[in-house]
Amino acid sequence: MLRLIGRRLLLMVPTLILASLLIFALAEVLPGDVGRSILGPYATQEQVQLLNEKLGADRPLVVRYASWAGNFVTGDWGESALQKVPVRPLVLKAFGNSLILAGFALVLIVPTSIVLGMFSGLRRDSVLDRTITVSTLSMTVIPEFVSGVVLLYVFAVWLKWLPVSALPPDGSNFLDRLYYLILPAIPLMFLELGYISRMARVGTVQVLSMPYIRTAVLKGVPRSRVIFGHVLRNAMVPTVTVIGSQVGWLIGGLVVVETLFVYPGVGKLMVDAAKTHDVPVLEASVLMVAIVYMLANLVADIIVALLNPRIRMGG
Amino acid sequence: MASEEYKREYGQHLVEQVVKGQMTRRQLLVRASVFGLSLTAAGQLLAACGGDDTGSSASPAASGMPEPVMGGTVKMIGPAPITDPDPVTIYDQGGIVLVYQFLEYLIDLADDNALVPKLAESWTANETVDVWTFNLRQGVTFNDGTPFEADDVVTSMERVLDPDSGSGALSQLGGVLSPGGTKAIDAATVEFSLDKPFADFPYMVSSGNYNTAILPRTYKGDIIKNPVGTGPFMLDQYVTKQKATFKKNPTYWGKDDQGRQLPYLDGLDYTMVEDNSAQNLQLQSGAIDLQPQTVFQGAQALFSDPNLRVDIYPGTGIREVAFNVTKDPWKDNPNLRKAVAYCLDREAINMALYDGRSNLGYDTFWEPSVFAGSPPSTPRAQDYDMAKQLLSDGGMPNGMDITLTFAKYLENPQYAQIIQEQCKPAGINVKLDQLSYDAYYAGDDNDYYGTTPWINGAMTITEWGSRPAPGIYAAAMLLPDAVWSSSHWDNKDFVDTFNQYEATVDEASRMDLAAKLSQIQSDDTPILLAFYITQLRTQKKNVYGVHGPGSFYCDMSMAFMSA
Repeated sequence: MLRLIGRRLLLMVPTLILASLLIFALAEVLPGDVGRSILGPYATQEQVQLLNEKLGADRPLVVRYASWAGNFVTGDWGESALQKVPVRPLVLKAFGNSLILAGFALVLIVPTSIVLGMFSGLRRDSVLDRTITVSTLSMTVIPEFVSGVVLLYVFAVWLKWLPVSALPPDGSNFLDRLYYLILPAIPLMFLELGYISRMARVGTVQVLSMPYIRTAVLKGVPRSRVIFGHVLRNAMVPTVTVIGSQVGWLIGGLVVVETLFVYPGVGKLMVDAAKTHDVPVLEASVLMVAIVYMLANLVADIIVALLNPRIRMGG
Repeated sequence: MASEEYKREYGQHLVEQVVKGQMTRRQLLVRASVFGLSLTAAGQLLAACGGDDTGSSASPAASGMPEPVMGGTVKMIGPAPITDPDPVTIYDQGGIVLVYQFLEYLIDLADDNALVPKLAESWTANETVDVWTFNLRQGVTFNDGTPFEADDVVTSMERVLDPDSGSGALSQLGGVLSPGGTKAIDAATVEFSLDKPFADFPYMVSSGNYNTAILPRTYKGDIIKNPVGTGPFMLDQYVTKQKATFKKNPTYWGKDDQGRQLPYLDGLDYTMVEDNSAQNLQLQSGAIDLQPQTVFQGAQALFSDPNLRVDIYPGTGIREVAFNVTKDPWKDNPNLRKAVAYCLDREAINMALYDGRSNLGYDTFWEPSVFAGSPPSTPRAQDYDMAKQLLSDGGMPNGMDITLTFAKYLENPQYAQIIQEQCKPAGINVKLDQLSYDAYYAGDDNDYYGTTPWINGAMTITEWGSRPAPGIYAAAMLLPDAVWSSSHWDNKDFVDTFNQYEATVDEASRMDLAAKLSQIQSDDTPILLAFYITQLRTQKKNVYGVHGPGSFYCDMSMAFMSA
């Protein structure tokens, strides 16, 4: 197991190097340049060229990458040319915000999805199963900008039960922060509920059809012990894998929710950086999300291995 | 000519124009402001004209406004600046609305685009209108205690004229004011020696040219770290892409008519939100007091919200539909350009895009419903027979296929679709080429203006924020040396007439020249101007006194919240 973890951690290094190279190359083909982003469409070409020279943005791609990478590995993440602030605190703060929102959303999503999926699987083809399946899948297909606007209108504008922004006032405590995150977490829950509960249902149905479950039932093992001791543990294998793959998106892909609920997360930061050619911010943001994505998948694999000894042995 | 004598004569001339019916009373106020006549003097001129005073600034009582209340903080909402704002290079709404709170200009713009003295108390030109003398306000200090003097004006202007600064003001001032053209006569007087006569010059050093904000002579490009200005508020906190807070400047020079210290408010909180829907929802939830610029699209819910008031005020923003006259089929063929113009049902466009609230345009900048001092315009109604005749005259009797390029931004896509639909009956097939905002304004690093779609498309829609005078618009996009010319129009008659127009002070002569310019522009139709966009500003019903013309400005110095 330790060897598996060590190997996966080592594999992260070339993956991150490749990702950083790709980001640099992709930023190069995006229309426009950083000088134009700063000075706008009304500045003359000469003015933009002068600024690009000052910023070093006119140097060859390889030179810029080598310079950035050399600084990055020594802890110098550079400065945002547009925001004129150091990249590291900018990205880490946004990343921290995204972690909190994603963490809160996961706390709501994971238990709810698993419980609904298990119930659905245990009552396969019943009215309850169909109700859960249809309702969760229906929620999943609603785009978050639609569900977000409706939720905002109903709960923040009309009923005024919840705040319209996800950003609490300065000095708010942890509970206040969570209160402000309830509304933005719900569209995320809608999106993920159908997907994860479906996996939990499929896992449950599959495990229930296994001979060892039939044997346990025939042997007279209490139903609760069958469910919690055998079904739940084994049905979770595909579910955990799916959850692991969704964590990266929950941290780096919430652009719509962050925009709608005015939440300063890393998703919006990445999109803004890409649009304005702010490569140091883009690089740092993407790498942070990539690290989380890989770690989440690694953790998911470890949990799966712990749940299923056969996988552990194979590993 | 002595300045006071000059102003007196010019004032008398304006009165004569009004009496003869060649100028409206509102136009008199605006033109009087250009030549530095004070509001009091302009009021006296209006009195000399007889009749009711139709001045633009109503008293609070007359407008139903309650007495100002001191204190409180107004919560504002708008987009984040694209970059951390530097007044020398800002060009976006977020940046402009923020720096406007703590920086000031020599001249401000009233809601009707009349010029209002700010850091300049008065100004006057010589007879040939190529030397302008500005008398600066005395007793003004920057919020760090440094006195405001002529040297600050000189360095501010030289800074934006320096190509190294990257200031967009250079593109506007180019050909009018060169480096070295601004001199401090003494601590309270500045003289601008222009490259050529330019009667609209005061607009170029007004808030209408947003990069000309007056900064301390020691400014080092770090306005967020050292937010030193003379404005009514002081920047207190700035969190990138999130918020900015301001507190009142206790040493601000401004006072109201009753002698009360301005600003009335204790502070401002500006929340940065990009998405218009999110902004509107925040307003409706009651979390926000003021949205300086409200976009028409999606604003219907705000109009019907009982807790909000949507102010509608005249704007001069446009969506320029440019025919690139260097490309087929528009090259040397004004008939085809006019054929498209006659396909447009401008009232229907106005109704569809702006709920019928904007002013109609007829493809010239000298539109009297928008710009004071413009001659009567000739409406262009939809006329498919005329369009077909023009197509035939232009060598396309069976119609033509054209491509319209635009950014997916604001109401551009809807406008493009309407043009497409309205052109069909004349046999003009419009192919829509919709680009992302970034792609539309992108260009090659080495030749931006030779490659960017907004300048090089055959037919384009480009959104322009407000400009305070038709001459400013024309100089920016219709002259052959204008860097922002999407039409690439080069009409010698227009250029010669325009130069005469900007060198002329006499209002009757200016009106004649404006009529000629308008006719040339209409006859050649290098661009379509179907409307001038009315501006919306939304606030809670207890918020009063917010001013500012155009799309970006928001003067909070006299804003207050009633109980």
